[in-house]
Amino acid sequence: MIEPVPSDAESIDRGEPSLELRHLHRFFGRLKAVDDVSFKAWPGQVMGFIGPNGAGKTTSMRVMATLDTPTAGDAFICGYSVVDDPDKVRRYLGFMPDSFGKYANMNVVEYLDFFARAYGLKDAERRDAIEHVLVFTELRKLADKSIDSLSKGMSQRLGLGRCLIHDPQVMILDEPAAGLDPRARVELRELIRLLATEMNKTVLISSHILTELGEICDSAAIIEAGQILAYGTIDEIQRQQVSVDADSTGRRALHVRLASVDNLEAATSSLEKWLLEQPMVKDVQCSIGHAMFDIEGDDTEQQQLLQNLMAVGHPIIEFHGKTQSLEDAFMNITKGITQ
Amino acid sequence: MSSGEKFLHLTDYVTDRLNPILVKETRQALKSRQFIITFMLLLTVAWLISVFGVVLNGPAIEFGAAGRMFFAWYVGVLGFATLFVVPFGAFRSMLNERDYNTYELLSISTLSPRQIVTGKLLSALAQVLIYYSAIAPFIAFTSLLQGFDLPLVVLILSLGLLWSLFVSTVAIMLSTLANSRQWQALTTIGMIALLLWQMVTAFAFGGIAISESIPFDNDEFWWGLGSMLVGMGGYLLLAQQIAVSRLTFESGNRSSGIRIISTVQFWLTWVGILAYGGWYGFSNIEGDAVFAFAISASIHWVIAGLIFSTESEHISRRVRRGIPQSQFLRLLYAPWLPGGRRGLLLLTLHLAALIVIGRWSSWPQWIGNHVMPLPVWESWVGDATTALALYVFIYVGFGSAVGRLGQAITPEFRPAHSRVLTILLVPLTIVAPYVPGMFSYRYQVRSGSYYWVTNPFSTLGRISSSNRGWSGSSPEEAQVYLFILGIAAAIVLLVNLRALIAGVSDVLDWPSAANSESAASDTEGTNAVVPG
Repeated sequence: MIEPVPSDAESIDRGEPSLELRHLHRFFGRLKAVDDVSFKAWPGQVMGFIGPNGAGKTTSMRVMATLDTPTAGDAFICGYSVVDDPDKVRRYLGFMPDSFGKYANMNVVEYLDFFARAYGLKDAERRDAIEHVLVFTELRKLADKSIDSLSKGMSQRLGLGRCLIHDPQVMILDEPAAGLDPRARVELRELIRLLATEMNKTVLISSHILTELGEICDSAAIIEAGQILAYGTIDEIQRQQVSVDADSTGRRALHVRLASVDNLEAATSSLEKWLLEQPMVKDVQCSIGHAMFDIEGDDTEQQQLLQNLMAVGHPIIEFHGKTQSLEDAFMNITKGITQ
Repeated sequence: MSSGEKFLHLTDYVTDRLNPILVKETRQALKSRQFIITFMLLLTVAWLISVFGVVLNGPAIEFGAAGRMFFAWYVGVLGFATLFVVPFGAFRSMLNERDYNTYELLSISTLSPRQIVTGKLLSALAQVLIYYSAIAPFIAFTSLLQGFDLPLVVLILSLGLLWSLFVSTVAIMLSTLANSRQWQALTTIGMIALLLWQMVTAFAFGGIAISESIPFDNDEFWWGLGSMLVGMGGYLLLAQQIAVSRLTFESGNRSSGIRIISTVQFWLTWVGILAYGGWYGFSNIEGDAVFAFAISASIHWVIAGLIFSTESEHISRRVRRGIPQSQFLRLLYAPWLPGGRRGLLLLTLHLAALIVIGRWSSWPQWIGNHVMPLPVWESWVGDATTALALYVFIYVGFGSAVGRLGQAITPEFRPAHSRVLTILLVPLTIVAPYVPGMFSYRYQVRSGSYYWVTNPFSTLGRISSSNRGWSGSSPEEAQVYLFILGIAAAIVLLVNLRALIAGVSDVLDWPSAANSESAASDTEGTNAVVPG
């Protein structure tokens, strides 16, 4: 298991975190839905909150959103406690639950207008906020359309717009891409990316679509059975898992790619033969132009192997350690425990 | 700027200052099928009443008192919309927030629970006013007929409006109590039954008021009306506060508002009675009326006390921040702060006050060199009120003790469990004297035996009849009943005494706001005790 250690993100001085969980616990009777969860996120950061169903993601998010109180511990949004100052937290927080809350007999503008009023926006400030959200979410053309008739993708955009109406610093999005078609998903992803890059917001996002999270998040926390199993930048989590594998077996996985030479098949075959002759190389798997294998040893052995490969004259253009996707990391880190 | 733009700006300016829920609900209501159908139906039925009324009356319409009859019909139609459709709409409106997942969106906005509840209520009021405006031309028509009585019309319409507002508040309160689907379904059925019952009752009273002439020149009428309005206003505020408390975030103060309103209601009742005595002379206050008020107060406090005294003892830092710094003020404020032990203390204080007021007739007063009893209601009222208060204390004190014991045994024991146990205790004590007779005729508890003391109805009946010298009972008997009840209450008090003292000392011992801020992270934040 990867210990949730302070990540690079924490070691760099980025000022005060805009979102922080401190030893958060939430129990329902004997069920430990959230069990000592701690992490931080900073402005401009998109953080993935990943875990299987029933892991405690939604419960944690509901506590952060001031919809539930922790059994112990606390969560802080822009420095305000969700337990002590929920009213202040709400000013700095936008929460998008996994289900879109619809009102009957209401169009898009009326929906946004109501929430703008609910957040205390008045006069020109309210009108500007609505206009800004309509432009940002590209819902301008649908402004007068009844929200009952919106597609799932448009509803999610409207939900995102509602979260943004009071210009919160922190946004918590629970499964925003669930049920969206590929185009809507890509568009939503772009919007979320803009929130962090252009608007410098902190975004905490949970999703089951890990490939997408890997693309938009710069950090992640993996939770299972109420406990954080891994936490750090996406890179850290992926690398950390590979190094954990290496530590446990004493091997490291490597990948070699050959240049497109005239007789690539023969070059691959020659490489395979050469690799099999090397005592520190194990489990060689080759396909045309590619070779994947494990090497027993440390950086020195790896460096020596690369020098030898080049010296023999194999047409190598890539030589790197095997990286794993967020999905691989998730599968390796979690154990499939359900509560 | 064109006049159209000016109007839009003005509308924006005005609506910006209104409750957002009111703006939203009014927009929704005006577009909703239910509102349009009700509105059209109201107009159609009122129009049909007018046409048929005129046709059926024929030329007699010029001479008979047809104005009242027409008015009664219009009020009936209006009553259906304002006493059934609107309150039910208010009830559904809150439930819909949960059904359509919008309640969470509301609760994480900067709207306070009070704004949410008030917005729903104002929206109901706006709809009522629209229905009133729809029926207004028809009522204006009745003014052209014989028998039209303007004071009566104003009274009925005003009371109808207030009653609709009251029922809508109760409907909103009930809708906040039901969280699960099953409870929502059950509450909906109960709500429909309640609305039908109150509507029929209101029609019955309205019918009497319209057919009889109202004694506007009679003081008693105004006293009655005033009492009714004060009572209704009190319960309207209480229902609103309960709804607000239900929507308040868990770490907020959900209890003090309800406690304060309950206290104000209690004292307002007695101030009203004393004001009546001051107006007409205390000897004119009927003992039965005082006892009826005491019964109402007891019912009120047995329910409120049961809820207050079984509350969780945990007080969040947020609530603690709001308590006064001065020890004296804390001491005064303690019974109104959340927590079961302080809830029991609040109940005890009120029951003690009830006994003192009920026994007012026993208070001595100096007339010259003689000590005489005060010339107020009869002495049996004091005994009966004392008995009532003791019963309430015994029942609720038992519930409170059981709740604390249950909590000490297992954290799974919740306030609802002790409330159910207490509620079960009441019928058990009522039927207890009948139990031996169920098994054998020989062991029947004879009438008048002190074993009947477990049955409050029997005891109160005996006390009231014994003091009035009614057959089969004597004043001494009442004293024996009170003695037995007093012993039982003393035992319950002893059992709860430590908790009562702890309830107050907790408040006095809380660190000041500054200290509690600095200690915050050490108490509930990082190192709070985690159950399990």
